[in-house]
Amino acid sequence: MAVPVSQAWTVATYILKQKWSGRKRFPLVTMLEPLFRCNLACAGCGKIQYPAHILKQELTPEECFRAVEEAGTPMVSIPGGEPLLHPRIDEIVAGLVARRKYVYMCTNALLLKEKLHLFKPSKYLSFSVHLDGQREHHDFAVCREGGYDIALDGIKAAIAAGFRVTTNTTLFDGADPNSIRAFFDELMEVGVEGMMVAPGYTYEKAPDQKHFLGRARSRRLFRAILSNRKKAWKFNASPMYMEFLMGKREFTCTPWGMPAYSVFGWQKPCYLLQDGYADTFQELIDTTDWNNYGTESGNPKCANCMVHSGYEASGVYYTFGSLRGLLDTAMAVFFDKYQDRGALDLLNAPAKSHTPLVQISSHAHAEEDQRTTA
Amino acid sequence: MNAETHLMQMDAHVAPDQLEIAAGREREQLEGWVPELATDDEKRLAFEKAFDYRGDVTLTLKDGRRINGYVFDRRLGATLEDSVVRIIPSNERTKLSVSYAEIAAIAFTGRDTAAGKSFEAWVKKYHEKKAAGEKNIAIEPESLE
Repeated sequence: MAVPVSQAWTVATYILKQKWSGRKRFPLVTMLEPLFRCNLACAGCGKIQYPAHILKQELTPEECFRAVEEAGTPMVSIPGGEPLLHPRIDEIVAGLVARRKYVYMCTNALLLKEKLHLFKPSKYLSFSVHLDGQREHHDFAVCREGGYDIALDGIKAAIAAGFRVTTNTTLFDGADPNSIRAFFDELMEVGVEGMMVAPGYTYEKAPDQKHFLGRARSRRLFRAILSNRKKAWKFNASPMYMEFLMGKREFTCTPWGMPAYSVFGWQKPCYLLQDGYADTFQELIDTTDWNNYGTESGNPKCANCMVHSGYEASGVYYTFGSLRGLLDTAMAVFFDKYQDRGALDLLNAPAKSHTPLVQISSHAHAEEDQRTTA
Repeated sequence: MNAETHLMQMDAHVAPDQLEIAAGREREQLEGWVPELATDDEKRLAFEKAFDYRGDVTLTLKDGRRINGYVFDRRLGATLEDSVVRIIPSNERTKLSVSYAEIAAIAFTGRDTAAGKSFEAWVKKYHEKKAAGEKNIAIEPESLE
């Protein structure tokens, strides 16, 4: 398992407490965005398209702590923007760790090596490094040549210093499943604790609006990638969510599962959509018309979404929602190979894409995968 | 929900689970726009577009004051008096709520911060620079000064 037992126990007891107290809508992870400023300018990102005076704004540590305490989640993810650009990020992280929150600090790792000394290794702190695939693929996706190598240096330095390091990968239309599988091999060799992977979401404010996977294509891609798993691969994600990505399971969206807080307030309804802001977490829960969201709602803005922020919490809540959920999850943990001949065929199928430059293809990896999984 | 002019270009006859490609959104060219605010509907539509806009706007209030800033939220009530634009002025860290009824004019004065930054633009730039022998090619974030 890619998550420490203490973390899994904390999350499990938290969820059970919420259920026993009769709380209908409760969050799992607070998405804390202390700033929108970034040192990358990815075309697919919808988080940084703001005027300079907004990009200069930052949450103070006190504002961060207040938001996290309001939501009360056992886990906090710190995306952005690039959190390492925040001049007080060390105080924010230290304060959250002191509150025994499991913190995932999302970073493109361009500054990780340089700023590593600001942090202390802890079971409560993981660096979640954004890598969108092998070198050429990542560099193209983040619009920066050389970015992969810098990030990998940062990962190695953090692991060597005793930090927990995970990765977070977003896949776009044209992603080559063989390359992604080879990428997983590379990450495991480097020594990351676990990997997260999800399809990209068409942010309304992103410059790029043309390279995002629809649900049918996402499921085929994730079936190809996540079936016939290698023993060495470790994922930092709910096994039920991963089955959802592979098309083995249906979930409805839990938009309140990973609420986002930023300089604007609590984002309605979720980390991805911007339909307004609430000043308090309770106001977010009470004033959002939740029936308007999730693919099942018919809202076209939710049509292609299969992202963590809506569906990972659904997977986790399913696990702890019934004996059946627990059994399904246990099966997924202990029998995690997912042998699938059809998925191997998908690896050999020519890539269908109108965006061939996003990823490159490598049939050599497909042949290697077939040999190692046979 | 946002104004109908912002509907995503999705084939309404295809169920989400059958979609191969996620339809993106067609964005209007709003930079420099000064909408008519003659009717209540025109006002509501203009402020909805201001909320979606990726740049600053300038509000002129009926008492003559002007506010330049980023519209990060709007809250719709039954009347213009009950509806508010929430704006962060460009020169201070505060959030102002301004009733629709108080606003005489709005102009999309700031630059659309994402216009022209498509993935295709990046690919084109990358190949041009590569052909010119450049290394460490990247789209750099814009200066904040």
